[in-house]
This record gives sequence, C-alpha cells and structure tokens, in this order.
Amino acid sequence: MSKKVLMRGSQAIGEAAVRAGCRFYAGYPITPQNELTEYMAEAMDGLNDGTFIQAESELAAINMVIGASMAGARAMTSSSSPGISLKQEGISFLAAQELPAVIVNTMRGGPGLGNIAPSQSDYFQATRGGGHGDYRTIVLAPASGQELADLTRTAFEYADKYRSPVLILGDGMMGQMMEPIVFPEPIDVRTFSPKSWILDGAKGRPSRIILSLLLNPPEQEDLNWRLARKYEIITREIPMSESYMTSDANMIVIAYGTAARIAKGAVKRVRELGLKVGLLRPITLWPFPNRPLKELSRHVREFLVFEMNMGQMIDDVKLALEGRGNVHFYGRPGGIISTPDEIAKTINSIYHRQHLEED
Amino acid sequence: MNIIENFELYAPRLIDKEEYFCSGHRACQGCGEALAIRLMCKALGPDTVVANGTGCMEVISSFYPTTAWNLPWIHLAFENAAAVGSGVEAGLKALRRKGKIPDRDVKAVAIAGDGGTMDIGMQSLSGAMERGHDLLYVCFDNEAYMNTGIQRSSGTPFGAATTTSPAGRASFGQKTWKKNVPEIMVAHNVPYVATASPSYPLDFMNKVKKARKVKGPSYIHCLSVCPTGWRSASNLTIKMGRLAVETGVFPLYEVEDGKYRITVEVDELRPVEDYLKHQGRFRHLTPDVIEMIQERVYQEYNKLLDKVNGLHAWSDLKFEGELFE
Repeated sequence: MSKKVLMRGSQAIGEAAVRAGCRFYAGYPITPQNELTEYMAEAMDGLNDGTFIQAESELAAINMVIGASMAGARAMTSSSSPGISLKQEGISFLAAQELPAVIVNTMRGGPGLGNIAPSQSDYFQATRGGGHGDYRTIVLAPASGQELADLTRTAFEYADKYRSPVLILGDGMMGQMMEPIVFPEPIDVRTFSPKSWILDGAKGRPSRIILSLLLNPPEQEDLNWRLARKYEIITREIPMSESYMTSDANMIVIAYGTAARIAKGAVKRVRELGLKVGLLRPITLWPFPNRPLKELSRHVREFLVFEMNMGQMIDDVKLALEGRGNVHFYGRPGGIISTPDEIAKTINSIYHRQHLEED
Repeated sequence: MNIIENFELYAPRLIDKEEYFCSGHRACQGCGEALAIRLMCKALGPDTVVANGTGCMEVISSFYPTTAWNLPWIHLAFENAAAVGSGVEAGLKALRRKGKIPDRDVKAVAIAGDGGTMDIGMQSLSGAMERGHDLLYVCFDNEAYMNTGIQRSSGTPFGAATTTSPAGRASFGQKTWKKNVPEIMVAHNVPYVATASPSYPLDFMNKVKKARKVKGPSYIHCLSVCPTGWRSASNLTIKMGRLAVETGVFPLYEVEDGKYRITVEVDELRPVEDYLKHQGRFRHLTPDVIEMIQERVYQEYNKLLDKVNGLHAWSDLKFEGELFE
C-alpha cells in the first residue's frame, strides 16, 4: 500500500495513468487541464519506455493515440470541451477500429469557446457518441481525487477488455482541486498479455489490417452488429453508481461528478431538518445505471436532477424511470458552482410542495 | 508591381493619435504583444475588420462587458483566424459588388499567436494564402502557448524551457528548431511577407501600411517579447526585441514579390549569448548548447543574406528562351 499524497486532480489522473501502464500520451494546451499535459511531459521523460508528444492540434493528438494504440501501447490523450469537439473524428475512428484508448475531458462552460470555469456542458456529447456513426463510448464520471485515480486505472482496463475508447468526464473543479490520494501499486507493463491484433511488423506471419472503411454495406452491417453486441455486454457488466441515504428516502437527488459532491452536502443539510432525501450518483454515465433508479422508483415518487448545465442527464433519468415518478430539475450552467445551501433550498421547496412530509 | 510608396517618410509625428487598441486591458506588465497590436491598429486605421484567433490577446482585451478594441473585431476558435478572415474578406467583397455597402477599401486582417498560426492554424493559413484573399495575416509570436501556461509550440526556440519541454537532468528543454513560417509563406508566392518587431515601431508600422496596400494576401511575423513566459524583466521588453535583431536571432526583413530586403541592417552580429542571458527560459543552457544555437543563427543569417543578394539578381531575369524546343 503506497502512502497518501496531496495532489491536484489533473496530476492524479497523470500519475494513475502511468501506474496503469500508460506509456504514450499526446496532448495539446487548453485550460483548465494543462496540469495533466505538463505532468505527463515530466513523467514520460522520467520513464525509459514512455513517450510524451505535444501535438500541433487536438486532431493530431487523438490520431497519434490511434497510432500508438494500433501499435499496442496503452495510450491516452486529454483536453477540455472545445478541444474534445476537435477530437470527435478520432474517437469515432477508435470506436470503428475497436482500438483501446483513454480520453480525459475536463469540462468547461460552453458552447463555443465558453469559459474556463467548471461545467458539465458535455454530457450529451460524451454519452451520445459525440462523433459521427453508430457507436457508444464508455463514460466514467469521478467525483473525488481518489476516484480520479481509481477510475483512471479502471478506464485503461475497460479500454483493453472491450477494445473501446473510454472517456473520463471530469470538470475544471475536479481537475484543479487538491486532495489526498492513495495510488495503487504500479503495473509492470511487461506483465500485460500480448495483444493478438496489433500492428507491429509482419515478418514471418500474415499481415494484419485494421480499417474503418467498409464500402460493402453487409460488411459495415456486420461491424455495427458486432459493436452492438459488445455494447450490450458492456451495458450488462459495468454500470456503476453510489447510493447515499436512499434506503428510507422518499425523494432522490441524482447528480454526478462535482455536482454530486455539492448535492451530497445538500442532502446532509436537509437530513438534519428531518427530510428523508437520498442521493444517487451515477459513476458510469454510459452505460447509465438504470437498475438502481428503477428499483428506487418502486417507493420514491419525487426525483430531482441536479446538473451544472441546463438539463442533459435528465433525459437518461427519465428513460430509466420510464414514466414513473415526477422528475424535477435544477441546473446552473456557464461555469457557476452552486452551493449546497442553494440545492438544499430547492429540495426543501419541492419536498413541501409535494407534501412529502405527510408520507 | 511595386507597392513601395515613400514609406520612409513615415515619421512619429505622422502617426495616428487615435487609439484603436485602448489602454485598460489586462495584459501583463511589459507585454510586447499588446504594444505591437496597438501599433498595428494605428497603422491600419479604422477601416479594418480584425479576426482574432483565441489566445492572450483575446483574453486580455475582451473580458465582457469591457473591450480594448476600437475597431470591428471578431473572436474565434484557435485554428480559424485565417479562415474567418477569408470569410470576412469574401463577404465584404460580395456585399460591395451587390452595392449593399459603400465601395470603400475595408481591409480584412487576421491575427493569432504562434500556437494558433504555426501549429493548429497552419492549415487554414496556408489555404487563405493559396486562395489569394485580400487578407493581411499577422502572427504575434511570443514563442510558446503563454495563455494556457507556457507550453511549447513549434515557435519555441531550441533550448528554451517550457512546462511541456521542461529542462532538467533528462532534457535541456525544447529539442527542435523554430519553424520558419515566413519562409513557408514566401513559398506560397504571396505578394508581401515581412518579419517585424515592436522594438522597431516605425519599421513595423511601415510594414503594416505596405501590407494594407497590397491587393492580395500578405503575412507579417512579429516577434512579441513575453516577460512572463520568457522569464525576462518586464522593463527589458524593448531591449529584448532589439537584442533579438542585433544578435541575428530574429532578423527584420521583407519579401516583396519574391525579392528579399533586410529592413534593419545590422553591421556586426552580437554574440547570441547577449540575448539569451537575460531570459530565465535559457538559464540552464550549457556553453555547448549555446554554441549550437550560435552556429545555427550564423547559418540561418547567411542563408537570408544569400537570398537578399542572390535572389535579387535572379528575380530580375526574364525567361527569354522557348520551352519544349
């Protein structure tokens, strides 16, 4: 067990990636995630088998990751909202070519260039594919420094296991905040089992081909079916969420990432007032944790979705609830960080409006 | 075409007193780039539309609801200054042709930093130059991504320490030589290309005036001293710009229709160390690396002199034979 270290969120992702065996990182400057790029520049310099490249654009960075992934390396890139938009073409290619890769999005306010303050503006982009074509990306949403580190390792594992791009969805707050973190022991990259599909020279064996251009519709359909089967397995295997004080609750707040931490504070506050409110925090955003929500809907009627945007995850919540219960929404877009008091007030007013105290 | 009017007569007292890039913006103390923009705007005059790729200059000058810009100004993503500039020019042309706006010479100007020009914006810049828009593109080169916290760019000089080319035991900082974008622009056969520095204000403004007169694409590469990123004293900004020219690190020249001319003559180049020693980003350099930089500066300067002397004669030659005899 390694000891606790105080670290900035972005740097924690970097350290966790190196310990997870990431040996290739390509990045491009964009605030508020430069600490990760800078950390990887130093960390890779210190490893004799690591490569850091500062690309000439986000598009180049993601395509370098495609190349490194094809060659068999655990590869990562990172950016913030506008930069992730530029990477979408590459993410679509990663999905089509079934290449593992980890992409970190430190979200900021948008649309357009927006600002550099923490936001959850890219939920749709992250969970609905983002790029073109019929595909899905695994999306992990950490809510603490420790979770950033843990989920970074998980991300690399899922990426290799499912041969799929995995997105870590943080925000400016997660990236900049310093918290004590215990890192897992580093993995020795020599212990990785060899990948049977990588492109590494074909002397003495038939050459392998990785492509995403399938002009013949039946071939393309085969790929889409194969991907769909894979997504079905992922949807079954990996949904993750945290339930907080939900067992006796008659109202549930649903929030992820930074918003979930604020919401947790709010739930604590209203619990002191005697309101039976719980929190459900999705950790995987795709696949969305439908099951716990569905189960909660058997005895809970009121749901409050809190997001740092104008309402994106609320769609998934409604899909999971399938019409049961009332779904309320509270959001602050544009990089504004709500206070727990603000959420507590909202909870309070819904709680009393719906006469839940009489239940 | 000879676009030179008697620009040498351009004297301080003739400079526009109107401010188009106003004081009160949020640039760091001693910012060479803000100074350069102010001079550029004075030389351009009010009939100008500026398309500004994101970077320090956009952040410091347009913090809503305030602005330093007294010119029509549009802000856009990192990689698109030349593309949006092209659109502005084409749009104005179309409206003029249809008689929807007065037939005035409104100049489209695109500006961006070294990252937005030399890295991510190269594609759109090359496209705009190739299509031949009546567009002036000015690159304000402070030799790294300063706005995001000093990351290296392809404009960062060899040996400089930045946050993504850190200097230490394993590395002496930036390991590649600065990309020569003015040469790439010359290779596009555009009518006017120049290098400039706000430490030579009249030279710089003359060049902007010339570029404004050109019908067609023009490119100015302006070295902008950045005390924050270069780790140099903020009162040395003008001196640093001069030293860059006097040591031959950043010679000031212009290329008009393929003809090279050095605009600020340097009798004898000073040793490059004079320039490097004032900057924290070069503090770690050992004599052998400095020697490498010195060699390279001489080499590049001689190449430039060859072009000034050689190409002059060459470009006057007319082809008089017959092809495919």
